[in-house]
Amino acid sequence: MSEEYFEEEDFTSQVNGRTLVRTAKQGLKHWPMMLGFLVSIALVSVVDSYFTFLSKRIIDEGILAGDTEALIRIVLQYGVFIVIQAALVLGFIYFAGVLGERVQYDLRRRMVNHLQNLSLSYFNRMPVGWIMSRVTSDSRRVGELVSWGFLDITWGVTNIIAALAFMAYINWRLAILVFFIIPILIVVSAQFKKKILVEYRKVRKLNSQITSSYNENITGVRVVKSLRREEANLREFDELAGDMYQAGFRAAWLSALFLPIVQLISAFGVAGVVWYGGIQYQSDFITIGGIQAFISYITFMLWPVQELARVYASMQQAVASAERIFSLLDEEPEIKDRPGAVAVPTIRGDIEFDHVEFYYDKAKPVLQDFHLTVKQGETIALVGPTGAGKSTIVNLLCRFYEPKEGQIRINGLDYEQMALHSLQSRIGIVLQTPHLFSGSVRENLRYGRLTATDEEIVAAAKTAGAHPFIQLLEEGYDTEVGEGGVLLSVGQKQLLSLARAILAQPDIFIMDEATSSVDTLTEALIQQGMEALMTGRTSFVIAHRLSTIKRADRILVIEDGRIAEMGSHAELIRARGHYYSLYTRQFRDERTQMLEAAEEMAVLA
Amino acid sequence: MSEFNVKESLVENRLVGLWRLMAGYRPHYLVAVISVGLAALAQATIYYLLRYFIDDVLGQDNFGMMPWIAAGFIGLALLQGLFTFIGGRLSAQTSEGIALRLRSYIYNHIQRLTFTYHDRMQTGELLQRATSDVDAVRRFFAEQMIGIGRISLLFLINFAALLLLHVQLALYSVIVIPLVVVLSLYFFKKVGEAYERFQEQEATVSNTLQENLSGVRVVKAFARQEYEREKFEKENFGQFALGRRLVWMHGTFWPITDIMCGMQMLFGFYLGARMAIAGDITVGTYLAYSGLIIHIIWPIRNLGRLITQMSTGLVSYGRVMEIVRQEREALDAGDYIPEEIMRGEIHFENVNFAYAGPQNKMVDEPLPVLHDISFSVKPGEIVALLGATGSGKTTLVNLLPRFYDYSSGLITLDGVDLRRYPRTYLRQHIGIVMQEPFLFSRTIRENIAYGVDREVSDEEVFAAARAAAVHNVILEFPDGYETRVGERGVTLSGGQKQRVTLARTLLKNPRILILDDATSSVDTETEAEIRQALNGLMQDRTTFIIAHRIQSVMIADQILVLDHGRIVQRGSHEELMTQPGIYQRTFDLQARIEAELEAELATAVSTNGHAKEFYERSA
Repeated sequence: MSEEYFEEEDFTSQVNGRTLVRTAKQGLKHWPMMLGFLVSIALVSVVDSYFTFLSKRIIDEGILAGDTEALIRIVLQYGVFIVIQAALVLGFIYFAGVLGERVQYDLRRRMVNHLQNLSLSYFNRMPVGWIMSRVTSDSRRVGELVSWGFLDITWGVTNIIAALAFMAYINWRLAILVFFIIPILIVVSAQFKKKILVEYRKVRKLNSQITSSYNENITGVRVVKSLRREEANLREFDELAGDMYQAGFRAAWLSALFLPIVQLISAFGVAGVVWYGGIQYQSDFITIGGIQAFISYITFMLWPVQELARVYASMQQAVASAERIFSLLDEEPEIKDRPGAVAVPTIRGDIEFDHVEFYYDKAKPVLQDFHLTVKQGETIALVGPTGAGKSTIVNLLCRFYEPKEGQIRINGLDYEQMALHSLQSRIGIVLQTPHLFSGSVRENLRYGRLTATDEEIVAAAKTAGAHPFIQLLEEGYDTEVGEGGVLLSVGQKQLLSLARAILAQPDIFIMDEATSSVDTLTEALIQQGMEALMTGRTSFVIAHRLSTIKRADRILVIEDGRIAEMGSHAELIRARGHYYSLYTRQFRDERTQMLEAAEEMAVLA
Repeated sequence: MSEFNVKESLVENRLVGLWRLMAGYRPHYLVAVISVGLAALAQATIYYLLRYFIDDVLGQDNFGMMPWIAAGFIGLALLQGLFTFIGGRLSAQTSEGIALRLRSYIYNHIQRLTFTYHDRMQTGELLQRATSDVDAVRRFFAEQMIGIGRISLLFLINFAALLLLHVQLALYSVIVIPLVVVLSLYFFKKVGEAYERFQEQEATVSNTLQENLSGVRVVKAFARQEYEREKFEKENFGQFALGRRLVWMHGTFWPITDIMCGMQMLFGFYLGARMAIAGDITVGTYLAYSGLIIHIIWPIRNLGRLITQMSTGLVSYGRVMEIVRQEREALDAGDYIPEEIMRGEIHFENVNFAYAGPQNKMVDEPLPVLHDISFSVKPGEIVALLGATGSGKTTLVNLLPRFYDYSSGLITLDGVDLRRYPRTYLRQHIGIVMQEPFLFSRTIRENIAYGVDREVSDEEVFAAARAAAVHNVILEFPDGYETRVGERGVTLSGGQKQRVTLARTLLKNPRILILDDATSSVDTETEAEIRQALNGLMQDRTTFIIAHRIQSVMIADQILVLDHGRIVQRGSHEELMTQPGIYQRTFDLQARIEAELEAELATAVSTNGHAKEFYERSA
């Protein structure tokens, strides 16, 4: 649904010439194909008009002249052109079709490649749905504009020009008459199409409302029933469905009106030709075949005009799509390698936060004048209320963000001098909301180190305490975890992402609430593995669980972006300060969780 | 709006079903089809007018007729346009009307289907049938049926017009048509399948991207950008390749049929011209012929597309009717509505329950069952249910509002068989706070007032919110009670949601209150707050509490301990404490853990105490 919402974004901007040029360039990269379809469609138009001309010749030179030989000659020529025309049709379908797919493919690839380089701040700013519709529907619209849109424009324009040229050749006075009808046709059609498009946009909007209304009624059906909301819900829905009926009906009959109106305008053209052509016929300025050709040309001019109107009406939308795509492609990554960045072989060593200042929004500083020195191999626990800045410290360390002021040094070197990849690939991080990719358990673990052997994977899973449950899965390590790991519990996902980080053998290890959803028993199980992992590695732990925090070498209580307290568990308890009150509050909550577990265990006993 | 009974369209033959669905719109649709025919007729007449113009006006030097001829062309175009418009408008009215009918009916139907059905059916599946399948049925009427009608009528009327012109010529002009029809049927079937594969791949591409985006932290944390690029590239190229294949298919079909239809037309031109030269037909007839034939041959190529689409429309219709076929819950069935207020006296006598249907949704969980449940509750009593997950606690309380009907035994409410009460009556007086709090995407105020179908004063809403210990929390939101919940609104924490649902239930002022693990996701302090508020509210209401913590169940007048669908222990807290069994073990375990943690805290504090002492002494 969200995707639809982002598609419905209003665009009021007029068609921007620069964007249009840049859009056209997407196709020009594959200029042979573009040339291919432009030439073949132009020829198709000419041949189409020529067919009408040949029909005229059949009448005038064959029938009226009573010349069978001439008739056969013209018919044979006609037949040859039918075959040529078919080849040209194959040409334009192939060239335009493949070009359209190709441009979409290129745009998707470029966007996704570019997205990989963008900084985390971009992803925090842009909802996933927004990015998704850039890559999917916007690229489709641009691809179609560059291929079929341009094709239709070319076809429409050349068709009208070719028809006019043939008409002028047959009788230029009559051609001038027709010439005046075309602009009327085009303007009326374009305005009409625009109106229809607006109506259909309303329909789509209502449709997505209806979908969410259904969605809510289905997911909340148990509540609806227990609260007897059926009648009231139906009343509300009927209103929405009624609006949908009105909008859908209006859009449909407006479109049904389009063709008759355009046809009527061209009927005036036909009438003019009949009348004026009749007069011309009296003076032998035009033949019967000529009149017939004129009638055909005018009648079938409807189609190129309609196509032009359609493309014109949808062009605005496609150009708006292109604008959004270019805005994504033009987005500069906030964090990238500085010129002369060093690819460090290791990031073992002391870490210093030196006068670090950071904010997402200048008015609301998150970290101010933050100092911290961490010795190689130390385990640091970060505790404090939500929003105090714990995750920011970790994000800065990973260089997902960079300090606004001050420096972060690793082993004495300002980390902004390091190559991003060399830094980030040596930090292992396990997040609170574990993210797995669809694929097997094994594939997910291997994400930590692409070259890991199966044995190493199992060893890492054992260390993380994930091995026992993996073995219980139907297909063990080859079990599919489902999209985003939906087939596993949060606790299981946390264990897997822990194992994944272990496999990466990082120099610095970070756990952000990594085991919050693991039950007490399992937590105890993995404690050992985690300790093994943390020995010799500098580690940062953000955790709620006391057992995890207590084991840290140093505990930092973060409040309002500052270190409010620092010391070992025993020291801080003795101080009876922030940590003490946090600890006792935490203690009470943890107790109740234990009690629930106890109940389950009592039943099992 | 009076509801159209879609159920009457349930018949074996889907076409008959669709016909019944059209009830009330049949005249509209009939007129629509006739209009389409008349439009075709007007168009065919234009060519007869052309013949008259050539043969009798130009040919006979009858130039005075010319203004009339010109007017005739405009008049016929006007008629053609008018009938085309009427056809379009009426078929739109029919299809939109039928879609409205289906949407409303299915919306209402879904909320009246049984719990058992919803347990089995997946949300996404149901949603798809209610939206895209209904839309496919709409298109069936709006585009496919009328489209096939248009092509057929165009063919019939123009062919009749051709036959009138010259029988032999007419017959020679349609030789290729059966072949084109067959070819287009085959092509559109194939292209439909290929398009489906293309769309599947498109979905794969967007899923891959979605995963990449939602896992962006993981990608960055492991510096796996290159790997991700390759992964996407593979799927992306897959889509390109399938798209190219589709292009190829179109690139073959259209030129081939172009040649077939073109040659057929040319053949007609040749024959006609020979006849005209020989004097068998007039020049005007030839011109009319060459115009009419265009409207016979070219539209035929689209017949295959419409027929293929129509078959998918029929499949969609079948899927929609699959929902309609399901029996609704009889909400008002029941012959007993008491005059006086519900007292809340409940008896269970040897009640058994088992799910009837298969359960696809929750494969891992055991099927809920209840065996031989007997107990009595006096009005205003508090009953606590204790037991492990899957022991049947939720199933038991779900029997009371008749979300499910028990299989055997007897449940009475105020001395009357529960099954004699209409479900609406029961649900009006029984309030349930469910395990998983569900809020609707509307304002908090509307959510709280959701369960009462009348205007509610602010005071009442506030009172309910205060009782649920959520009033102050709500006031802290920027828009207070007018804050929107959900999508693009504020996200409430689990505990906050649960308290809002509690307020919603309390506002109903139910006679029987069921709290299904309602305080599981709130912290201890808030829980105490809620419990205090509830203590007042539970008075003179029969209350069922499902909870894990001993403190929550201690206050109950009777505690039922469930295990695998049976009551294994019953009694008050004091009684159960003295019996060996699950309750005692639970209590002991919980007490032991508490003691251990207490001890640890005490150590920490006493260490601290010592330190303090030490510090003071040295000072």
